[in-house]
Amino acid sequence: MIGILQKKYQKETINMFSLSKHGRVICSPTPPASCSEFHEIHEWPVRSSEDKEEIIGRVERLIEGGDTSHEFLRQRAALMADEMLENALYCAPRDTHGRQIYAKGEKRSLSPGEEIVLRCAFDGEKLFLEVSDSWGRLSPETVQGYIAINLAHNTSADRAGRGLFFMWKFMKDFYVNFAPGLKTSVGGYLLLNPDSYEYGAI
Amino acid sequence: MEQKFKIEIKNGSTSDTVHFHGNIDSHADSHFEELGRKISKKMVVFDFSSVGRINSMGIALLLRSIKSLKTEQDAQISIQGANQINAMLFKMTGIYLLAPEAKRL
Repeated sequence: MIGILQKKYQKETINMFSLSKHGRVICSPTPPASCSEFHEIHEWPVRSSEDKEEIIGRVERLIEGGDTSHEFLRQRAALMADEMLENALYCAPRDTHGRQIYAKGEKRSLSPGEEIVLRCAFDGEKLFLEVSDSWGRLSPETVQGYIAINLAHNTSADRAGRGLFFMWKFMKDFYVNFAPGLKTSVGGYLLLNPDSYEYGAI
Repeated sequence: MEQKFKIEIKNGSTSDTVHFHGNIDSHADSHFEELGRKISKKMVVFDFSSVGRINSMGIALLLRSIKSLKTEQDAQISIQGANQINAMLFKMTGIYLLAPEAKRL
């Protein structure tokens, strides 16, 4: 049964969605962002939590340039990569009761069969970032719920989904593509010179 | 390269300044536990000029710490030295509502 499902999901992408500026789920058959338009695509697999800082460093080094725009892009890229990798390493893995298996900050190696991959590309103006994991847990309802919680302006410290909220806030064409129980990809673009209206905090 | 997180506190005559160094994430958790015991003044400045990245876990730690200092020690906290993205995060998450930017002299 699992084999049949895997073949099915390998052939067709399901549950592709992005989010509107108001946090509403928009279903779409293809990703709003894609790395296919870039000449060079970097793909870095994660084998343990210890790889995280090294991979974030590689993303930062892709963005060459000493001015404030490049520095700001490096800051955003590092934060996005951090949040995406943390989600894949610690939030995606769940037991049969849906409980989180690993605590954030805990050192962990990937289980046999588990995969986490960061893909990125930079053309001098636009940085594409995507992290995939092999858990397939991030449903549209979950993401929408997290965005809604974080849109409520209060200062609760322990708020779930804050990392996803940051991704949605900072990334252009932020999307989630998931095959339940098999794969989740989260991605989008960061622009070197973003329009201020894209960022609610400016 | 990952910067090792640490907290330095400088006790001044009228205020305490808390200097954060490195990235603020889940690994910084234990450092925040001791913070309240080291603060003696009512006026507290959080200085982020040596901070790199602050992720969502780091934001949670800061919110918890600021709230705890305000409620348990009646402290007035202000923030200085945040870089562009960290200042945006403080605004997005309400940290600036609890601890406004320090006035520049």
